[in-house]
Amino acid sequence: MDFSQFLSYIASGTVYTVGVTLIALPAGLLIGTILALLYVYGGKVAARVMNLYSTVFRGIPPLVLLFILFFAVTRGVNLSAFWAGSLSLGMVSSAYQMEIVRGALLSVSGDQLMAARAVGLSRLQAIRYVVLPQAVRLAIPPWSNEAAIVIKDSSLVYALGVPEILRRAQLIGASSQRYLLAYLSAAIIYFLLVYATTRLLNHLEQKLSIPSNP
Amino acid sequence: MKKYLLLAVSLILVGAMLVGCASESTSVLDKIQEAKKVTVGTSADYPPYEYIDEAGNKAGFDIELMTEIAKRMGVELEWVDMPFDSLVAAVAGGKLDMAISCFNYDEERDKIVDFSEAYYTTEDAFVVTSAFTGTITVPEDVANYKVGVQSGTVQDGWLTDNLVTPGLLPEANLSRYERVDQAALDLANGRIEVLMGDYVPIQALVAQNPDLRVVYRGVLSTGPINIVLPDGDTKLKAEVDRIIKELQDEGFIDQLAVKYFSEQ
Repeated sequence: MDFSQFLSYIASGTVYTVGVTLIALPAGLLIGTILALLYVYGGKVAARVMNLYSTVFRGIPPLVLLFILFFAVTRGVNLSAFWAGSLSLGMVSSAYQMEIVRGALLSVSGDQLMAARAVGLSRLQAIRYVVLPQAVRLAIPPWSNEAAIVIKDSSLVYALGVPEILRRAQLIGASSQRYLLAYLSAAIIYFLLVYATTRLLNHLEQKLSIPSNP
Repeated sequence: MKKYLLLAVSLILVGAMLVGCASESTSVLDKIQEAKKVTVGTSADYPPYEYIDEAGNKAGFDIELMTEIAKRMGVELEWVDMPFDSLVAAVAGGKLDMAISCFNYDEERDKIVDFSEAYYTTEDAFVVTSAFTGTITVPEDVANYKVGVQSGTVQDGWLTDNLVTPGLLPEANLSRYERVDQAALDLANGRIEVLMGDYVPIQALVAQNPDLRVVYRGVLSTGPINIVLPDGDTKLKAEVDRIIKELQDEGFIDQLAVKYFSEQ
């Protein structure tokens, strides 16, 4: 087996790595943002429930949640390994993303909300047009960190039998006895994925930054 | 609020269990024949039983055997590659119809899954590097060294029950690895002195690493290897056992053994 075959076998797992990330990250963002809004503006009861959600999901290792969802909860339900893995990672990520968005929302001074109300905006309008646009900008740097974590955590779905990059590196390492090469190839592919994502988000951050606000 | 949350969660769990029970009353064999497809799990990192060949396809003793079994059942075969540790849970959880990955009979595993009749018999081996200067005359002698083994295997069980539990081998001197090739790497690096494993894959390792040699070979933990089947599914077990018997009588399995395990 020559090196190009070797690398292309491992690299063909990228489809799964990217697929898992593209499901887990946006799902986590959607859930995380809704929960963060409820946490900050939803009153005491909602805040306590969200706090519980965040504590539980950040307290469970992603792999454990993966096993629970795939082997225990979905007995008899036909949820594929790919979806079980993507959704569990999305759930774990939603707890972290909720904290990121919550932090960003709280960083926007409460006086602004009051001022917006004073000029006649409704509460919802004030959140939508005054707080959120600022919060989004504040959330991007920590969020790009979370994106990198989700890309790397996506390797966990190998435990359920999804043939992603890490699992393919293991298989080809076992059959060829060239482990160093196999794991190095996997490392390079992961690095390139994370690097490209971080660059993309940096670009976005610059594009969205407000010029008068150094 | 919390109370309702708890109630909702318990309802979902009970519902999931009921669904699970309902699907168990029919045989998996009916499902296989209806779908014309059998879903089989394997951990394709264990040459020569199961591995991927140069073209990236699954190959090996177990793979070829299962392909023939599926052919005789008249159904399509769908492979699912999974780490060894996940396979039994996946069969027990209904995610796989069966699993073939050089499984030995084991009481703990038998509680949640069933085993087919044995299709082959294996032996154990201890392997060391050329740097090893100790002696192993009886198997229990390995307790004097740092030992490595693949976690969750019957070899792991043998070491734990016969050496660790009686206090002969300190727990700290037993390293458990997710896969046997990781253990082989640590053996080469000197982190462990002796590696215990199934004789056939150990022999494949030795063939690829001239620095390794087998110091002991015999039946300790292993023996017959079987296909893992869903618990209590007698209809499926009868069908698989019938085909295994047929393949043994025809000499098909012996031919496979010569092809994959050809010993000098």
